[in-house]
Amino acid sequence: MASGPLRFRTPHIEELATAQSRQTPGFAWVAVSGGQGDPAKNWGTSNRKRQRTSLGGQTEQQKEALSARQQREIERKIRDLSSDNSKDARELPIPKRDGSSSGGGGAARPGKTTNTKRILASGKTFAHYLDDEEAEIIRTGRRDVDLEAPTQSAAQRPSKTPLHRRKVRENSAASVTPEPTTASSRPPPKLQTAQSSSGPEVVEVPVDSLADESLRLPTEAELEALLNAPPLTYNEARSAPPSSGAPAPRRFCETCGYWGRVRCMKCGSMVCSVTCKDDHDQFKCLKMYA
Amino acid sequence: MARQQTDHAPSHFPSRTLVLDNGAHTLKAGIASPDSRPDKCHTVPNCIARSHRDKRTYIGPELTAECDDFGELAFRRPVEKGYIVNWESEKAIWERSILDKKAPRDLQCEPQETTLVLSEPPSAPAQLQRNADEMVFEEFGFAGYARVLAPALSSYAPSPFASTAQSPSGLPLECLLVVDAGHSHTTTTPLYHGRPLHGSIRRLEVGGKTLTNQMKELISRTFDVHREDWLVGEIKEDVCYVSQAFNADLERVWKGGRHDPRRPDASVVVDYVLPDYETIKRGFARPHDPSVNLRNRALGIGTEGGRREHILTIGNERFVVPELLFTPSDIGLPQAGLPSTILQSIHSLPASLHQAFLANIVVTGGTSKISGFLERLEAELRSMVDSDMLVRVARAEDPVRNAWLGGARLAQSREAMEKVTVTRRDYLENGEGWVRRVFAGKTGR
Repeated sequence: MASGPLRFRTPHIEELATAQSRQTPGFAWVAVSGGQGDPAKNWGTSNRKRQRTSLGGQTEQQKEALSARQQREIERKIRDLSSDNSKDARELPIPKRDGSSSGGGGAARPGKTTNTKRILASGKTFAHYLDDEEAEIIRTGRRDVDLEAPTQSAAQRPSKTPLHRRKVRENSAASVTPEPTTASSRPPPKLQTAQSSSGPEVVEVPVDSLADESLRLPTEAELEALLNAPPLTYNEARSAPPSSGAPAPRRFCETCGYWGRVRCMKCGSMVCSVTCKDDHDQFKCLKMYA
Repeated sequence: MARQQTDHAPSHFPSRTLVLDNGAHTLKAGIASPDSRPDKCHTVPNCIARSHRDKRTYIGPELTAECDDFGELAFRRPVEKGYIVNWESEKAIWERSILDKKAPRDLQCEPQETTLVLSEPPSAPAQLQRNADEMVFEEFGFAGYARVLAPALSSYAPSPFASTAQSPSGLPLECLLVVDAGHSHTTTTPLYHGRPLHGSIRRLEVGGKTLTNQMKELISRTFDVHREDWLVGEIKEDVCYVSQAFNADLERVWKGGRHDPRRPDASVVVDYVLPDYETIKRGFARPHDPSVNLRNRALGIGTEGGRREHILTIGNERFVVPELLFTPSDIGLPQAGLPSTILQSIHSLPASLHQAFLANIVVTGGTSKISGFLERLEAELRSMVDSDMLVRVARAEDPVRNAWLGGARLAQSREAMEKVTVTRRDYLENGEGWVRRVFAGKTGR
């Protein structure tokens, strides 16, 4: 390693290009851009306003900050638009019912069993449940431990069910399995057994029952596989964004809702005409001194 | 002995069935009866509302029955994103609307002798399903319980296509793609013989709620309605429509620039008379009259009967708001519009199945009642698929209560019910994990 006359063990220091300037005690990185540093090019421009316009309105930093802010703004707006409750609904109390009114009696009691007590008292919102589920998927690698338990192994019992009960369940399962054979006369009802896909006696759906469709449907086994596919998670089921070839998002005038044709230099919102721009400047432009 | 017990179970099968489509905006409840008419179904607001004016809290049905002043109501909804999240308030609403003595006579039931058919939206987090199962059995003590996807219930409803032969109740339609345009979101679910194809379910996160909130934002540019959820919801229902030619419509209502003022098209712009909850109980729309003096109207000069009228002029908001369903990028939402979402759903299936689902698209849910929705959806779908494919889109006869109706028809068939129902004894014996496997179709019984 030490081939040359290396005296000091110094770590390798590399300067990474950055657009930001960070303040450290006694030390500062300053981003220097373009011909700005050359006094021969911008002589006499002590005027900061002129300097700014010579840069094309905004510096990179300002543009970056603006687009980041707009992104945050859009996200906040979508969150607002999809909010279910009124803003102050969290504090909205549920009035106590008079106990005699309920058939079950004691309706005012918070829950009858420990489970329901816990459910009723939990103040979790949907976001909490979603985060919990995502964390669970990352931890176990599976969506739902409950649903996959029986397919892991037949020997390992998933529940506390006594053994003799379990045997009964398998028997009755076997009695349900031949159900698809009757498909010609009557379509199979929903929630069928998972076994019929793996079972040897897979029966093709007779063509005459599907005669009104011009296309050949996939075989019963393929369909069973589709039908038994695990449900998607909440995030997976979300509609995908439009393809990259789709037209750019439309922008509308903030004041009147017509096409947004001009961007406000100060706050980045769109307006359609001089009339709306005046209105915007007077009442709505949030960034007065940019 | 155990075998005997399970054999006996059907004889203990409860005779009454309560079908409950628990939507985010309204819950649709009714006891299934042999004639299963939609008017057996009660539509109840699924919320707890607090009025700042009379300092009263309205639970569920009290809101429509007893509330006179819908101004500045604060809502608390137990259903978030379509899923029952807050059971504390949901329990209060269920008790008030179903189990209570104050509930309608034909809705009252003893849970111990009743089977509950509860709808749920697709792709629910597991913990929320667990909570629902535990609450139904342990808190309410229903004798039987079936948790079914709401679109799967819809497949038992009568087919809206005129050419399709009506199936007897208890039998699902063969191939069906249910587009459920609900309050929280819009889901597309392909179903084969009433069984959902889980891997192909897609969700567009624009629903009635999004439209109402967007309407609120847009109207608030001129008149602050941020606290008037109920009112804005009514305005949306009254005046919104889906434009068939968006660009042209937007052009028609432009007021013009400073030097080339134009007169907005009178056929689009409307005056909405706001309710004051004294003489005007519900707002209404009428054609825009540019000559009207708003101040005089507000003072009651020149109006019929001398009543005071506060008028809101609504122009492009009428069609810009429902446009979100077709172009969610207008608010920056990174999702494709409803027609593309349907195609995403269909294209995730084998190619031989595409035609079957494209020709059987059924639209349900309250948001689909916006006029022009069906025509626009069909036109856009038509332009997006090959011309040799048949595209059929139909709206259910009663889009709001379609899932309930399907559930009621399912409940009439004893045989079909036994396949989907878990009895209380099963639950106590086998535990909630087993119950969830049954509802997911993962176990035979």
